This record gives sequence, C-alpha cells and structure tokens, in this order.
Amino acid sequence: MIKNYLKIAWRNLMKNKAYSTINIGGLALGMAVTLMIGLWVYDELSHNNYFEKKDRIAQIFQSQTFNGNIGTGPAIPRPLEMALREGYDDNFKHIVMSSWTTPLYLNYKEKSLSKDGNYMQQGAPDMLGLTILKGEKDGLRKINSIMLSKSVSEALFEDEEPIGKVVKVNSQFDAEVTAVYEDIPVNNSFNDLQFIIPWEKYLTLYEWIKNAEDQWGNNSFQLFVEIPENSSIEQVTSTIKDVKKESSGDEAEFNPQLFLLPMKDWYLRNSFQNGVQVGGRIKYVWLFGIIGTFVLLLACINFMNLSTARSEKRAKEVGIRKSIGSQRKQIINQFLSESFLVTLFAYVLAVVMVLLFLNAFNDLSRKEISFPWQNITFWLISLVFIIFTSLLAGSYPALYLSSFRPVNVLKGTFTAGKYAGLPRKILVVLQFTVSVAFIIGTVIVMQQINFAKNRPVGYDTKGLVQIPVMSRDFEGKYDLMRTEFINSGAVVEMSASSAPTTSIWSNRGGFTWDGKPDSFQEDLAWTEVTPEYAKSLNLKIIKGRDFSRELASDSNAVLINETAMKYMGLTDPVGTFIRDEDEEDPFPPKKIIGVVQDMIAQSPYEPVKQGVYGFDKYGNNSFYNLRLNPNQSASDNIAAIENVFTSHFPDIPFQYDFVDTEYGEKFAAEERIGTLSAVFTALAILISCLGLFGLTSYVAEQRKKEIGVRKVLGASVFNVWNMLSKDFLKLVVISCFIAIPIAYYVMNGWLQDYPYRVLLEWWIFLLAVIGAMAITILTVSFQAIRAANANPIKSLRTE
Amino acid sequence: MLLQLNNIFKWVQQGGQRVFLLKDINLTVEEGEFISIMGPSGSGKSTLLNVIGMLDDFDEGQYEFLSESVHQLKEKHRANLYKQYIGFVFQAYHLIDELTVYENLEMPLLYKKHSSSERKAMVADMLDRFNIVGKKDLFPTQLSGGQQQLVGVARALIGKPKLILADEPTGNLNSAQGEEIMDLFKQLNKEGVTIVQVTHSEKNAAYGGRVINLLDGRMV
Ligand SMILES: Nc1ncnc2c1ncn2[C@@H]1O[C@H](COP(=O)(O)OP(=O)(O)OP(=O)(O)O)[C@@H](O)[C@H]1O
Ligand SMILES: [Mg+2]
Repeated sequence: MIKNYLKIAWRNLMKNKAYSTINIGGLALGMAVTLMIGLWVYDELSHNNYFEKKDRIAQIFQSQTFNGNIGTGPAIPRPLEMALREGYDDNFKHIVMSSWTTPLYLNYKEKSLSKDGNYMQQGAPDMLGLTILKGEKDGLRKINSIMLSKSVSEALFEDEEPIGKVVKVNSQFDAEVTAVYEDIPVNNSFNDLQFIIPWEKYLTLYEWIKNAEDQWGNNSFQLFVEIPENSSIEQVTSTIKDVKKESSGDEAEFNPQLFLLPMKDWYLRNSFQNGVQVGGRIKYVWLFGIIGTFVLLLACINFMNLSTARSEKRAKEVGIRKSIGSQRKQIINQFLSESFLVTLFAYVLAVVMVLLFLNAFNDLSRKEISFPWQNITFWLISLVFIIFTSLLAGSYPALYLSSFRPVNVLKGTFTAGKYAGLPRKILVVLQFTVSVAFIIGTVIVMQQINFAKNRPVGYDTKGLVQIPVMSRDFEGKYDLMRTEFINSGAVVEMSASSAPTTSIWSNRGGFTWDGKPDSFQEDLAWTEVTPEYAKSLNLKIIKGRDFSRELASDSNAVLINETAMKYMGLTDPVGTFIRDEDEEDPFPPKKIIGVVQDMIAQSPYEPVKQGVYGFDKYGNNSFYNLRLNPNQSASDNIAAIENVFTSHFPDIPFQYDFVDTEYGEKFAAEERIGTLSAVFTALAILISCLGLFGLTSYVAEQRKKEIGVRKVLGASVFNVWNMLSKDFLKLVVISCFIAIPIAYYVMNGWLQDYPYRVLLEWWIFLLAVIGAMAITILTVSFQAIRAANANPIKSLRTE
Repeated sequence: MLLQLNNIFKWVQQGGQRVFLLKDINLTVEEGEFISIMGPSGSGKSTLLNVIGMLDDFDEGQYEFLSESVHQLKEKHRANLYKQYIGFVFQAYHLIDELTVYENLEMPLLYKKHSSSERKAMVADMLDRFNIVGKKDLFPTQLSGGQQQLVGVARALIGKPKLILADEPTGNLNSAQGEEIMDLFKQLNKEGVTIVQVTHSEKNAAYGGRVINLLDGRMV
C-alpha cells in the first residue's frame, strides 16, 4: 500500500514540476533555516559541556547596594577565602582563588609568546577536570611551577620534552613546567586558559595583592568553588550569603549578599538587574529559537496552502478511492505519506543548503559550528523533525482532502474554492503577519545600532592605537618610549593609562569632599593616566585646565568627567579636594583641576559613568595610547612604531589595536543579531512570496475559464489583474494590522534593555506596510498579468 | 435476496423547504438480476444508484443489504460492506490518471489485504480476460474511451463483487464501444453477477431483465 501511495506521490511531483519545485524548495529553505538555527541554539546550549561537573562548579558572586542601586558582579575580596575555609569548609569540595585572566609573556630560549592565563590555587586542575597529557595532575603544588595547555607547550617547546623545562614569565620570574593539559575547546569558559601559575606566586608579585589579604573592601579577585554531590547550589548559597556582611565590618553598609552562580549559567544567564538574575544571552537563544520555528511554520503553511489549492485535481482521486472502498483513515495515511516524502526530499535539500552556507553562517555568527555527521542524537532529532514537519505540513491537507464525499466529487459538482477558501486565507494572513513583524523588528534593531553608533564617543577614536604594556619590562620606560615614538614621525602625541580607553578597570569609593551629601555612597570609575592623556585622545577640557608636567603639585591632581561633576553635586569643581574618608590615609588629597568631556568607555547603550582620571604617579601603565601622524598612511605609521618597539623590546611580541576597531567591538553582539535577523527576515519573506506565487498561479489556473469568458466579454488586462490581486492585497493589509501591535510590543520590550535607545517612530511601521504591499503586488502581478494576457480562445477550448 | 429498500426518502433543504430527491422508494433486488433504471434527466437515477451503492445517505426508510441494516451501520462498516460486495462503473470512467492500467486494476486489491502474489495473479487474470495485456503499462490518458471503460469494468470486477452498479456506463462511448460493454455485462450476469445500471437508451435497457422507471424521484 505504502508503495502505491509513494508511487502516486512521486508521479504527482514529477507531473507538476513547477509546483513541486516551489513546494519542496520553499520547504527546504525553511528547514535549512530551522536546521541552521537549531545548530546555533544547540551550540549555545552546549556551552561548557566540556566540564562534566558544570552543575557543581560555581563562581562566587556578590550583590552590593550603592545609594539604593544593587550592583552584581564576580569580583570578591581576598579575606573571603579564609572566612569560607575556616567556617564553611564542609560545604565545598574545592575552594579556588583565582586572578583575572591576563596576558603574560612566556619566554623559552629565544622564543617569546604572549598568552592568556590565570594564577589559581592548587585545586584548580582537579576542580575543572583538566585532562593531563603529560606531567603531574597536582601541578600547582610548588610555588615555582606552571601548567601549560598543549598548544602553548607545542608552540614553546616544539619537539622537546616540556616537563621540567624552565619558562621565564613576563621577564619577572622563572617557572618550571609541571604539567601539560589538553586545550579547553572553544565554546567553553576558560577556553583562553593557556597556562595556570600557582596563586601563591601571585601573592608575592605585587604589594597591593599582599595588602589585600585583610581588605574586605578590595573586590579585585575571583573565587571558584566545587560543591559536593549531595549538596545543591541553592543550599550552599543560603548558607554563605551573609558571610561577608557579618565579617567585613564597614563593608556591611553596602549589604553584600554572596551567591553561587553555577558554571552551566555562566554563559547564558549571567545578567543581573538590581540583584536579580534576568537572563543574558539566553534571551537570544529564545529569540532565534522562535524565529526558527516561525520560519518553519511559514514553509509549512506554503505546503498546506499549495496542497489544498491543488485539491480540485486530487479530489477525483479521493472520490474514486473512496468508492472502491478506501476508508478515510487510509486516505489520510496516503496524504501523510506523500507529505513525508516531500519533507524527506526537502530535508535532504536543506542539509545540502546548510553545508553550502555553514561557513558563511559561522562568519556571521562568529561560531565554529561543524555539521554533526557522527552525532546519532542529531540524526534521531532530524528524524523526529522530519516527522513533525510532515505532520505539521501534511495534516491539514490530509484531513481536508480525505473529507471529500465521493458523490460530490464524482458527480463533478465539486469546487474546492468554496470550501478551502477561509483556512487558506487565514494561513496567508498568518504568513504575512510573521513577515511584516520580522521586517519591523529588523528595521528597529538596525536603527538602534545606528543610533548608538552615531552617538558622540567624546574623543577621537580614529587614528588612535593602543599597545598593551602590562609587563615589568616596560617599567620606567614611558618617557623614553614617548620621545622615541614621536621622533619616529609616526606619532604626534602619546599617553599611558591604567586601563584601555574602551573600558573601565577600576572603581573606587570611600572618599569625601566639601559639599558631599550625607550618607552618599559614591562609586567612581578610576583610571590613572599620564599628563598627555587628554591631548593624545583629543578629549576636550570644558572647565579648568589639563595636567601640566611643569607643575609639581599636579602629581596629586585629578580630572573628572562631566557626569562626575553632576554626580558629586559640584557646580564649580575646580579646586575641590577629594580626600580619603579614612583620616589615617597616608596619601595626600587629590585636587580637581579640570573637567573633561564625557567619553564612552563602557556600553554605548548606557549613560557614561562618573569617572576620575588621576595623575599617574607610580608608572601604573597598562596601555600606551598613540595618536598617529595624520599626514602619513596608517601602515607606514604602524611599521615605524613596530620598528621602534622591537628595537627596545626585542623579546616581546609587538601587539597593537586600533581604538576605533576596539570600540566597534561594542556593537558586535547587536550587529550580529541585526545581520542574522535581516538574513532570516529576507528568507522568511522569500518563503512567503514563494507560497504566494504558487497560490496565485493556482488561482489563475482555476479561474482560467472565467478569465477567458470575461475577456471575450471585454475585460481589460487591468480588470483581470485587479480582480486577481485585490484579494491578496486585502489579506496583506489585515496582516499588517495584526503584525504592527505585536511588533510594537515585542520591540518596545527589547529596547527597554538599552537605557540609550531610539524612539519607535510611526514611519517604521508605515515602511513595513508599504514594503509588504509592494512585495505582494510584485509577486502576484507576475502571474496575474500572465493570466490576463493569455489567449481567451485557447483557455476556453481546453475544457 | 440481495438487497431491499423500504420507503426510502431523500431530500435537501432549500430556502427553508424540503426538496425531495427520492420519494418512497421500495425496491427488492434478487441475486442474479439485471436491472435497468430509466427516466428523464434530473429524475433521481444517479441519486438512487448512489444510495444503493452506499456512497450517499438517505433521510428516511430502511435499507437491508445481505440482511445487514445499512441505515444503522457506521461509515467504516459500510465501507467494508461495499468494498467487499459492490463494484462501481462510472460514465466518466474515473480511472486514476497517475496510475497505469495495471496499477489501477491492482488498487482495489490493496484495500483488501491480498498478498502480492495473489494480486499479481488476479490482475493478470483480468488483463487476460479483457484482452488488454498489451496495454497494462499505459496510463489512462493514453487509451481510447472504450478501452478506458473496459479497464473501469475490469476494476469493478476484480474484487469479485456480487453487485455491479453502473451509472450510464456507455454514455461517453460510441455505439460499437457501447455494445461491447453491454455484451460484457450480459456475459457477467450469466456468470451470476447482479447488475444495476442507469441508462437513457432503450436498447441498452433491453439487455436487462427488469426496468425501473423514475420520475421526480418516485418509482412509476
Ligand atoms: N446536493 C443536492 N442539492 C440539491 N439538489 C440536488 C442535489 N443532488 C442532486 N440534486 C437534484 O436532484 C435531482 C436528481 O439528480 P440526479 O443526479 O439523481 O439525476 P439523474 O436522474 O441522474 O439525471 P441525469 O440523467 O441527468 O444524470 C436533480 O434535479 C438534481 O438537481
Ligand atoms: Mg445521472
């Protein structure tokens, strides 16, 4: 029986090639989109799957309240470690203090590499479940050891045996390689962990780290834990949440609340608003999941519509089969197996499309997704997907076609149009509702990106280059390097700063100043800069003056930004002193000498944070900021800079970034979403148009005789075109009315995440409506005009 | 007795009024009969034939088929009943255009769960009997009207039905082709198959034993 069904299905497909192409092609396109999105969603959801214990590994986060605002983050103070070890050891299998991931220079013989890694406590390799390829598992036992990832080990030692070799780190200390571990794959946290050095070493390196041992207010470290199997994240969180509040004295005023964020949530659910977890990337996983489902739905609707539109042709067959003794159930099975066949074809085609476009998609989405040929689960899911799609696409036509009564059909009085009209119209409306909503959504995302991009940055990012200098080698070299760079002619001005211009690395509080409101808990972004900072960035001074090297007193001076001026409640800030609240503070007070324009250092979608730029007394350089010579090409400038750099630091790889590119990175996430949704919107529209095209051609064929008669009676081409297009246009208008409020509601919600956002303007919606109408008219007209131009005598004779 | 209709009424609602298609039909068909239904166009011949064939419902009355009460049966049972005992022949042949002659003949058997070798043998028998072995791989559109109706009759017969219902089987054929089909019916009837046909031609009606005349849905 199945064979007979499939035979009929196959012959029907071959007989109506145009119909089959539209049907299978459209469905394949929809499935390809869904597959692609499915792979993307899977990739997102499988983040951190490398770690078997991702449910039990957690990072300690804390929420603190400043002036009524709750801020949440992973930075914790050092004394927390001892408090947990001493009072709550039973709650943990591992407690691992860690530095932030930082690039360090690793030297072996004449080789020098800049790699990212952490200083971590001894439990790290066991907690993370690192696969040790060489050396000892417990590789952080001795203070002078270093564990390397396989790729770094190979890059450094090539064929030599790495274990026992001594690496020079940052020209600062020697470390002996104790272990080589398998690289942590991309799509996992710690995938940039190229080396691990014992935490104890870290403590010996800088005075401020040592001093932090009992400073509850110095939130500069990370703490990872593993909980035992018989415990839960919630349980441990409720046990330790007040540990800092109870032990930290003064800090209790900020109401620090500790909690564990399990590793499985680090990537997708790491966003907090006012101390409450509000998701994160998971929202995009949902968004694309929904888009994928809708695109598939659109393609299925095409299938349903085209199948029912063709029902008149199949009605006779149904009638005959029923009169010969087929039950309704059997007819349903027949049409379902037909839809299964089509879906199967479409699936194969979809897989081909995915393979063709996977690279492009990876570039767009910055992923490294590969086609899961060997994954049995994937094929099982695919099978379920095919069955689901064929049911979704085929059930309506199957139920509809099988309901024909043989008497009606065989008598020839049957016309499908009367019965099938309404559901088909509803489906078309649904399709265009989705398309119009997609158009509106995409336009708004694009607008929001442009809006943020056009926002003044506050300084000149073009022609500005930054070089990371976070190594002992650069200590005390600033003046020399500045002179050398400027003398090379490639650089017109240069400064150094403790953080990149595109980020804030340090926030401070605990100050007082004249006119500070009572119980005001300030939180200031703090960056140490050399006196040439404003000049090199082209950052405008709007009050007071810039730093001056000639004035010795400027070593205790600061600049603040416009927002800080308002934030601190100062109308005339110049001359005001910022003092430490702690009376015994050994450092002299800082004098505000000027106010600079706000510059966007963090998110371009958020207000600029109140910031202080302190005179860099101690050579706290992390970056050089170089203003390139505008009269020379960028490549000449860079070549000259590299020349100077390597002549002074032959052992250090030359690294640099263009600040405008770095700044552009801030838009990357939104831009990716914008591009992806534009692509998906285009595909959704294409699929809908394919369906509409198919549908019009059927209506035109159905009404061929009528059109012929009308033309003989004197109807013009325009009359006929109008007659055929009108119905569809009406449907599209209805779709617009449904889509606009939905799109408005959803996009308004999306925009709420951005404090700095576009207004939803009416013309966006009008544009979408006009766009949808234009597309409909174009699609429909092609068939309508063809039908209208057909020779009436010919079409009448075919009956 | 093969079947019996008692006081069958069928109507449709039109503008709040009942329009009767069949009025008080009483008819008994014995096994082995050859009946012709006649009457002017619109008198309800096709309607009656469809009711007998269980393709159409009626609104009042009783219908017994082989001592089963058709009016009380569910759709599924009814389909089982007619697929086992009844074969249809249509004026417009109604072959499935996408299937070959062979496959068209095979189709009724697929709904009856015959094994594939049985099916092969039965189809081969029919092809042989109707002299259309050479045409078995052609599609219906490649045949003449007479040949198509031959396949239609063969298809109706392949399930070995007790009753053949034919609605103007020769309506679309020329007289020579029509005669061939009527001879075939006569031959079948001799072999014991009961036949009820609708026809407009006195000549064709003469092949049968009994003639039923309809006028405005009523037997006269
Ligand atoms: N569903 C229906 N609704 C209304 N009237 C119907 C319906 N079905 C049939 N009729 C009417 O019933 C009458 C009988 O129709 P039927 O097809 O049985 O006639 P017939 O005797 O076979 O005619 P012909 O010789 O032309 O084939 C006709 O007048 C027809 O218009
Ligand atoms: Mg009739």
